[in-house]
Amino acid sequence: MPHIVTDNCQGCRFTDCVTHCPVECFHGDDERLYIDPEVCIDCSACIPACPVQAIHDVIDMPDEYLPWVEINAEKAQILPVVKTKQDPLPTSEARREELGF
Amino acid sequence: MSTHVSETKIVRGACPQDCPDTCAFLYHVEDGKLVEVTGDPDHPMTRGGLCVKLKNFAEHHYNPDRLLHPMKRVGPKGSGQYERISWDEALETIRSKWTKIIEEYGSKAIMPHAYLGHQGTLNGLTSGDAFFNRLGSTIAEKTYCESGSSTAWIMTVGPTGGLDVESLAYSKYIIVWGMNMLNTNLHAWPFILEAREKGAKVVVIDPVRTRTAKQADWHIPIKPGTDGALALGMMNVIIGEKIYDEDYVAKYTLGFDELAARAAEFPPERVSEITGIPAEDIRTLAREYATTQPSAIRQGVAVERSPGGGDAIRLITMLPALTGAWRHVGGGTVEMPIWEFPFNFDFMCRPDWIRSDARVVNELDLGAALTGALELDPPIKSLFVYNSNPVSQAPNASQIVEGLKREDLFTVTSELFLTDTAKYSDIVLPAAMQGEQYDLMVTWGHLYVMLNQPAIDPPGECVSNVELFRRLAETMGFNDEHFRLSEDEMLMGSYDWSAPAMEGITLEKLKERGWMRLNVGMPDERAPHAEGEFKTPSGKCEFASSAAANGDFVVGVWRSGYEGSQPGTPVDAVPNYIPPEESPEVNPELGERFPLNLLSPKPHAFLNTQYGNEKTQQLRQGEQMIVINPDDASSRGISSGSYVHVFNDRGSFEAVAQVSDDVLAGMIVTNVGHWPGLNRTGTAVNSTTAPRHANLGQAGAYSDNLVEVRAA
Repeated sequence: MPHIVTDNCQGCRFTDCVTHCPVECFHGDDERLYIDPEVCIDCSACIPACPVQAIHDVIDMPDEYLPWVEINAEKAQILPVVKTKQDPLPTSEARREELGF
Repeated sequence: MSTHVSETKIVRGACPQDCPDTCAFLYHVEDGKLVEVTGDPDHPMTRGGLCVKLKNFAEHHYNPDRLLHPMKRVGPKGSGQYERISWDEALETIRSKWTKIIEEYGSKAIMPHAYLGHQGTLNGLTSGDAFFNRLGSTIAEKTYCESGSSTAWIMTVGPTGGLDVESLAYSKYIIVWGMNMLNTNLHAWPFILEAREKGAKVVVIDPVRTRTAKQADWHIPIKPGTDGALALGMMNVIIGEKIYDEDYVAKYTLGFDELAARAAEFPPERVSEITGIPAEDIRTLAREYATTQPSAIRQGVAVERSPGGGDAIRLITMLPALTGAWRHVGGGTVEMPIWEFPFNFDFMCRPDWIRSDARVVNELDLGAALTGALELDPPIKSLFVYNSNPVSQAPNASQIVEGLKREDLFTVTSELFLTDTAKYSDIVLPAAMQGEQYDLMVTWGHLYVMLNQPAIDPPGECVSNVELFRRLAETMGFNDEHFRLSEDEMLMGSYDWSAPAMEGITLEKLKERGWMRLNVGMPDERAPHAEGEFKTPSGKCEFASSAAANGDFVVGVWRSGYEGSQPGTPVDAVPNYIPPEESPEVNPELGERFPLNLLSPKPHAFLNTQYGNEKTQQLRQGEQMIVINPDDASSRGISSGSYVHVFNDRGSFEAVAQVSDDVLAGMIVTNVGHWPGLNRTGTAVNSTTAPRHANLGQAGAYSDNLVEVRAA
């Protein structure tokens, strides 16, 4: 029962979450991050760190996010670990506004 | 967990659970209600995050199943039928029953049963010791966990804190030995990741490919209960190839020649036969460990849970003295740094009240004690349970249940919920939860003094253990000042606040800040045994232990401060490999009937049984499950997702099978902590475990358990 990153991360990539993860379970490409469900230990430390509420606990999230479970698992296998905070994408502020945060 | 942190009153607290991390809490209180509990971002270990177990901790306080009032049993034992009564009636019932028992059988016919269901100085392991010593009850030896490691550690290096877990960040080679840290020591993992970032290699020795093992650079699967042989095999290589620290050994150790002789009996080929680890891997491990300094070993409690567990811990604890790893910051071994805290156990436990004819009964022998198998005189006529749940957590659960059903046994339980043990009680008393009480936590995994301040009032008529034992003392007519002390007076007496380690630390400051680090050196400079200074009688790391002459002993804190009637069973001055008792190799006849070695480590989403009754945690944990190797599964016609029956002569339980090569052939793994009463058969793993003790400290040998499995 891991956590997942939804498409709120797309265009933002704030990466505050990775500094709160005790197990380095975030992977990413240039666009966004994903969580490796094999490594995530369900602590939820990352959830309040995300400025756009992109991270959810699979156990209590809306059904609309269910497709992200598989996407996170697949992408985490092929993308590198993101261990340290990086600069958000140039589009991040506009995207945050669009998302209403 | 909500995603927004509310604008609320914040109260500083600390986690009550029996876990090495003892996290710093921030209680968020809104209009008198505890709405959220989060981790303190400023605490160097907690770093703002708690763990999966504590995620719904605020809600847990308001669980509708909380016991809120004293109750008396109105149905058969075990039926769970209770009726509310007043505290006065509950206490008067206890007084009259106990008075009659004491008149007829003597006070030793009353036995307390406690463990670390709560980990506070005031309300934890020792919270009832003074009362029961004053009463003259049987002394309960509380050796569920760590007692074997404590005895082994003290025999070898004395009561030293050893390597600070935070110093792992400065290690170059880290062995995690018998511990699934991501489940049970999560907040230490970032220090290992920091070390790895700087080039350290991380090795995990574990029979199971746990989630921690999967993160390691090298996972070494080992047959359960053979850790001592592996340590001796490593020594064989290290001494044989002269890659030990001769200068350190000469100056700061005792008994090298005897240890070298013992290690010479364990060449890698022989150790490979015992452990199942390829001989070349043993050589590589030994060489890398000895020559990559600073090297560190994070020891897990799992190692003690086999017949030879005590000697295995002694051997592992000797490795950093052999290699001179202690010379360096980040070198040495982490076991339990609790010994750095200047406790005043005599004040807490009042062993001065123990009578000359005192009797000790080990809690892991509870079933035998209650059913007459121990032939106790006087027999146990009353059991008082607090901070513990033996029906789930003690071995040989079926025998315990049989004992608890005795009509002539008067059982009282103080609890948060009507647990599998509580439902056999004649009287149930409602206990307070951590957010509702004041305590200074007993920390055994890091070096911070942690204060927990109450965020809310206890609901209903729940009371802290401090208040419980005050009431019981008054009920029994004990007018001693000890039972009239305020909580702060108790805390002042329970520690030596003038000790160098406590310099600058006061209760006043703790009330403001929540936590403070002991003055025992910082993680980036601490090397406590760079020049020996071990806390043994010789001042050296004792390869040949001077304490062994008196035989096995249990450290005072686990037995109400009592030093008499120690087990005293013979102990080799130089540790040896002691094989499992239940293994097909050692006991082929038993192995024929029950060929699979069952391990039962801690669950991910529960803390032992705590939170096992929470719906969301049940979803996270899943139901009782066994992991079985594909070879063992296919030969029994077992597939993933199907139910299986797990059994031996002691008992049985059912579980869902998960077929995986995460476990070796010949063994299966399940988790302890699922509430037996919530399982399909009303039983859980401890229905199968043996009430056998490890060779040191009367530790439970839970891993020494052969079973068979068939499709249910």
